[in-house]
Amino acid sequence: MNRRLSIILLALVTLVVLLPFLWTVATSFKPLREVNRYPPVWISPSMSLEPYRDMFFYLPFSRYTASSLIVATSATVLTLGAGSMAAFAFARFRFRGKRALLLLFLLSQMLPGASVIVPLFQLLRAAGLYDTHAGLILVHTAVLLPFTIWLLHGFFTAIPVEVEDAALIDGCSRLQALRKVILPLALPGIGATALFAFLGSWNEFFFALILTTSDATRTIPVGIGQFVGEFEDVWNQMAAAAVLFSIPPLLLFAAMRRTFVRGLAAGALQ
Amino acid sequence: MKRSLPYLLLAPALLFTAFVLVYPLGQNLLNSFRAVHLVQGTGGWTGLDNYRHVFADREFTLALRNTAGYALGGTLLALAGGLAVALLLERATTRATPLVTCLLSLPWVISPVVAGFAWKWMLNDHFGILNAWLAGAGIVNPGTSWLGNPHTALLCAMVARAWQFYPFAMVMFLAGLESIPAEQYEAASVDGASAVRRFLAITLPNLRPVSSVLLLLGVIWSFNDFTTVFVMTRGGPIDASMVLPVLVREFSFVHFDLGKGSALSIVIFAALVLLSALYLRVLVGRERA
Repeated sequence: MNRRLSIILLALVTLVVLLPFLWTVATSFKPLREVNRYPPVWISPSMSLEPYRDMFFYLPFSRYTASSLIVATSATVLTLGAGSMAAFAFARFRFRGKRALLLLFLLSQMLPGASVIVPLFQLLRAAGLYDTHAGLILVHTAVLLPFTIWLLHGFFTAIPVEVEDAALIDGCSRLQALRKVILPLALPGIGATALFAFLGSWNEFFFALILTTSDATRTIPVGIGQFVGEFEDVWNQMAAAAVLFSIPPLLLFAAMRRTFVRGLAAGALQ
Repeated sequence: MKRSLPYLLLAPALLFTAFVLVYPLGQNLLNSFRAVHLVQGTGGWTGLDNYRHVFADREFTLALRNTAGYALGGTLLALAGGLAVALLLERATTRATPLVTCLLSLPWVISPVVAGFAWKWMLNDHFGILNAWLAGAGIVNPGTSWLGNPHTALLCAMVARAWQFYPFAMVMFLAGLESIPAEQYEAASVDGASAVRRFLAITLPNLRPVSSVLLLLGVIWSFNDFTTVFVMTRGGPIDASMVLPVLVREFSFVHFDLGKGSALSIVIFAALVLLSALYLRVLVGRERA
């Protein structure tokens, strides 16, 4: 196939792929009377930021946003803490049961949410954590851990053992070496992992839908997912919510690409 | 101290994993053999009754068939799309390629909830852009309902799912294409092989390992996918697009029958273990090769 034809085709494909986004963004600026109009129009002079304001005013999206920020941030911090300790153990120690434990983490990543949701619901309810931020944070942390450990494991293994040995010879303890030598070197990798973890919790829908029920604890995806059933007439406000909700993932995606490149470059320089 | 240090470091992560993996599986097993109601609480042991109820349920048979079709169909569609776009990207390299690759990856980055919402709105019977175009071209009647029609609802969710998964396949295929030695193509050109022949004899066989990993991962992920179907159709109309993860919610939290929900969870888990074992075998086979 000739090159010019390929380029034209690729441009067309890109447009088709982006169509659902473009349609959603266009909708998010339209007044309701133009959203409910046939045939639909892409652009009109009466477009404004009104749906964005209305969404916070009429729908409980300011609460959902607060919940999402609290849950995703806490889950990221907890996951990174527990995850970097575990990944360090896997990367630097030989111990009995290592292979089996690595496999356990790999398998728990395959586990569908649907196959653990009933006991988790029972447990959180018994512990008084059903419909609380704390409950959802614990579940998200647990769900994100396996992937986090796998990512960090890769970053830690990339740091030469010699660096650590030198620290040990200089009189550092094993934990001091982790804190003062390994962690700073692994920082770009840890940063990238943190972004992944944050994104994972921010986007998570299934557990958040079933383990929360009040407006005060619900996260944004649950809000959007719920309203698609209940408030179908305010498509423009829901589109606005979807657009705002997508900004952090998009920003993180842009940042992540650079972090990864930087991390790799730093690894190559040693 | 020295010997126990790795275990101490692992302790928090293991505790969390026990909390989402070990405990729920055990508890699920117990639940599945007794009557557990969301409101009335735990009742007596009922043997295999919960499993019998699940297997006798018409909704279950339908959901099983739907899930298999959804996972396999959606994944194959995504692989075909991913490969086509990867080939196109390779052929049409320009200065804008990194940006275009980024734009093409967006469906993978975005939350599945947003993806489901965007597709649902695009397919809206009265005010969606797709119907406006199709009706404008005289292909369908205005007001055709894609998600409200039992014959097309699952198909729509499958397309949306493929749209979300294809960027992953695209990126993997791009890496796979880069790793094919140029000498193979040069030798084929010297022998006068046509483009189609080169694709069939060199490109496809070289991409086989990547494809098998992608196929299994895609099937496993789509098999577990709750969000796309729930947001777009909730399993309707009248269960026409019901899939297993949505059915677990239905049994447990709509009908309040936690025992039956747990039994279904165990069935899903068993299916997933089989698929994962297959996946691990493929991975190990690849490392040996």
